[in-house]
Amino acid sequence: MNKPLEIVILGGGTAGWMAAAGLVSLVSPKFCRIRLIESDEIGTVGVGEATLPHLKNFNDTIGLDEAEMMRNSRATFKLGIQFADWGFHGSRYIHPFGTYGSATSGSGFHQRWLRARAAGRDWDIGDFSYAIVAARRNRFDFPETAKATIASTYSYAYHLDASIYAWELRKLAEARGVLRTEGKVRDVLQDAQTGAINSLILESGAQVDGNFFIDCSGFRSLLLGSKLDVPWDDWSKWLPCDRAFAVPSESANELTPYTRSTAVEAGWHWRIPLQTRTGNGYVFSTGFTTEQDAADSLLKGLDTPALDEPRLLRFKAGRRMVNWEKNCVALGLASGFLEPLESTSIYLVQIAIMHLLPLLPLAGMDPRLSDEFNRKTNVEYDRIRDFLILHYHLTRRDDAEIWRYCAHMDVPDSLKEKMELFRHSAQIEQYKDGLFTLPSWLAVYLGQGLIPSGYSPLADIGPTDRVINDLDDLRTEISDRVDEMPSHSRFVERYCHTRQPWKLEPAETQL
Amino acid sequence: MSGRIATVVIVGRDAPLWITTAAVQRSLGHLDVAVQAIELPSLLQPVDVYSAMPAIQGLHKQIALSEELIIAAAKAVPLVAQRYSNWAGASPAWMVGYDDPPPPGSDVGFVHYWVRGRQEGLKPAFEDFSLAASAAKHARVPVYQDGSELSAAYGYNLAAIPYSLLLKAHANRLGVRVESAPIGDIEVNDDRITAIVLASGDRIEADLFIDASGIEGALIGRLPGSSFESWDEWLPCDRMVVASGAPIDPPPVYSQISAFRAGWVGLYPLQDSTAVIAAYSSKHISQTEVIESLPLPARIPIGGDAVASTLRRGVRSRSWIGNCVAVGEAAIGLDPLESLGLYVTHNCISHLMALFPVRAGTFPEADRYNREIALAGQNLRDIQCAHYALNRRFDEPFWDQCRDRRLPESLERKLEVFSLTAHVPLYDEEPFEEQQWAALLSGAGIFPKRYDPRIDVAPDEVLIQKVQQRLRDIAVTVPNMPSAAEFLKHGRGRLEVAR
Repeated sequence: MNKPLEIVILGGGTAGWMAAAGLVSLVSPKFCRIRLIESDEIGTVGVGEATLPHLKNFNDTIGLDEAEMMRNSRATFKLGIQFADWGFHGSRYIHPFGTYGSATSGSGFHQRWLRARAAGRDWDIGDFSYAIVAARRNRFDFPETAKATIASTYSYAYHLDASIYAWELRKLAEARGVLRTEGKVRDVLQDAQTGAINSLILESGAQVDGNFFIDCSGFRSLLLGSKLDVPWDDWSKWLPCDRAFAVPSESANELTPYTRSTAVEAGWHWRIPLQTRTGNGYVFSTGFTTEQDAADSLLKGLDTPALDEPRLLRFKAGRRMVNWEKNCVALGLASGFLEPLESTSIYLVQIAIMHLLPLLPLAGMDPRLSDEFNRKTNVEYDRIRDFLILHYHLTRRDDAEIWRYCAHMDVPDSLKEKMELFRHSAQIEQYKDGLFTLPSWLAVYLGQGLIPSGYSPLADIGPTDRVINDLDDLRTEISDRVDEMPSHSRFVERYCHTRQPWKLEPAETQL
Repeated sequence: MSGRIATVVIVGRDAPLWITTAAVQRSLGHLDVAVQAIELPSLLQPVDVYSAMPAIQGLHKQIALSEELIIAAAKAVPLVAQRYSNWAGASPAWMVGYDDPPPPGSDVGFVHYWVRGRQEGLKPAFEDFSLAASAAKHARVPVYQDGSELSAAYGYNLAAIPYSLLLKAHANRLGVRVESAPIGDIEVNDDRITAIVLASGDRIEADLFIDASGIEGALIGRLPGSSFESWDEWLPCDRMVVASGAPIDPPPVYSQISAFRAGWVGLYPLQDSTAVIAAYSSKHISQTEVIESLPLPARIPIGGDAVASTLRRGVRSRSWIGNCVAVGEAAIGLDPLESLGLYVTHNCISHLMALFPVRAGTFPEADRYNREIALAGQNLRDIQCAHYALNRRFDEPFWDQCRDRRLPESLERKLEVFSLTAHVPLYDEEPFEEQQWAALLSGAGIFPKRYDPRIDVAPDEVLIQKVQQRLRDIAVTVPNMPSAAEFLKHGRGRLEVAR
């Protein structure tokens, strides 16, 4: 039997503690021992207060209690993201965490909707998504588990305080045996021959040895980027935003069960409702505005009074060419950066951990393990990239330079083909690995004004009247059923009400 | 020419033609789309067999063809597994069974528990944990799908001529116009087919042409830009012989595939006979020798009716060109191993129907179809290639060469990652799930160095319990399945009612 793998995680924050909690909970201590190094002096970037439904699986798998986690992290529920003024001025659509149509409609639902549309029924497709209707009416309830019911057609995520979430993970990880070392890294010792990392030297002089290193050092990417020189794949020509201001404001009276993203003059504003405050931010491009103007724009756009000064973050869209090199895997911002437009940051950490677990180098490094990991994580990154670019590119706005630029930029061929086929015949590509599935693409295409010129001939089966009647019945059913749901605010109050008032930790920035 | 597709002409022969025709007609026939089949002379011989994995059930459902008819007309015998013998020296035979994949979101694959168990002295082989393999050994048919976690499916071995005739009659019943005539000429403008001229002189135009003519590629092969990527390097059998053998009573519900010194011989049980296929490399053995030596690996009396043919293995660089879509062997050529032939046709049709062109005259769907088919082809090829590459018949030139060849990168990754971790990297368009791949790879002798570390979080008792429970579940479930004889006598429908 091999000796346990000595895993060293560099950096706390959401990525580091997710890795620590995931590893210690899902892998027996006979296989690995985990040490996490973080410095109290280095602020963390809470990657994304808005999450995706997959996070619930992660929490359930490692045994993190949902209600308690939500209570502590001031969390609310999330059924999707509302996009305002994307595509064209006045547009408003929700990208739902759920499907369109009934539980049995299948992947052809939107084709039948297009058929009804061609027959003169100009129905909003959002009326046929249970998650969207519930979100619009600020309702929330847990999805039904019975398979064929309309209230089973969605899932949910959380809006949460990511630094408290990381703290919850830390408590769990430490209780289960993860060793935490406070300190900053001064030097990294590598094997002279292989270049593999052998140990980290801390400023205290302490030496931390390990066989396997997980780089969660944030944008600096101290190990994978700086030490192992893994090149950066720059995507900023497609995703031009390179800064964000973030500012908390007072909480709103009514908690929306969705994130809001509003396209503005040089990027977009976010609004994330937590129980005790609202998270706000402005992701913008210095190619199209100044920092000063951006800060003003953000403050002017707030719905509730600001609780602090805006804090600035600098970044670049892209990823490391590989996320596993030699004996080092990077997670989170150390692995790459995609703006939080679709709340993918925490998801990318989670999926990388899940891809890593079965491939852990328990019997020594092997490039075949890292190749497979890199193949899988790159597919995830690349497919999300295309989906984000779509939001920018699919626009008719010509009131600001950034939108004119994005509308005319040359996008990746993979995206071009997707858009062309949707425009032509409402076809949406389906794939095995990759986050965003049919309803997500559909929401953005239609929401941003790309109406297909045709639909599949297969949708012409059956009399038009019947298709229209079925759709009409479904619309009513969804509406009636949503009316029976409790309000989101009340649900949160009952399930996970937070008593602690909110206060900003000094060393943290929320993004 | 920007209207909807109003006319579809399908050119081909035998089961692929009628499967395609019936599927297109069922989906589009009542939408004012005129579907016409042009039947080329059959290439089938009385000895021929179609062997189909369980995905065929979905196709039969789609075209509304009843199982009772299929069993009665095509002398069909259910197919629950493939059994491989003599591929690895003196090692025992092993099976790839058609177990259903576990429901999404469930635990890591069972193979990890098996690897763990073996490391600690567990005796049973991986196939002992396969419900399908166990059913196959006990000549039982997994007809009941009651939603339990452990379930399996079945396909069929089908007598080729009656099955094709049944499908043809079915297509006729569905209202398809059929013309039986060889093709004289094809009028091509740029990369579009404007018309097919039959030997009779009839000129047939259509908005969309589908080529189901088999490896000949009667239409697609005559369009510009259609090159053929050969897989000869990876699928080394270039010839096959089909013969008819005595029936086995009761017929096994698996195909028996035995390797011999220059290829393999497969037994495909039918109700009144056993189809025998030998695939071989003509560089290593002559046709006469194969035919003469057939009875030995087959172990049953063989009729004097053997028919030989050439195997073309590879994929077209573009299966959809202009207004012509190739399906089945016209797009992807394989060898008969693992019974993938009809699946290729079915799979191509599924992709075509999902991407069915919206407008005549413009086909942006083609690129995606071509990419999907190329990927599907690669995965199918890899399944067959794995069998050859992993053989352990030493000191036989044919098999030595099979082992020594460089592997396709996609397959190499599968083998390596599986042998290191017991995980199987799966790509888009995989015909096999992890369970079948694990059965194939472990059966062929790869024993993974380790298992998924996540399973060890549970205490040892739980792991032992899980493994034993699986054996118990199989032992309890299999005897409740109908025997092959009962199944053939009563049919699934009545068995279900009786239950």
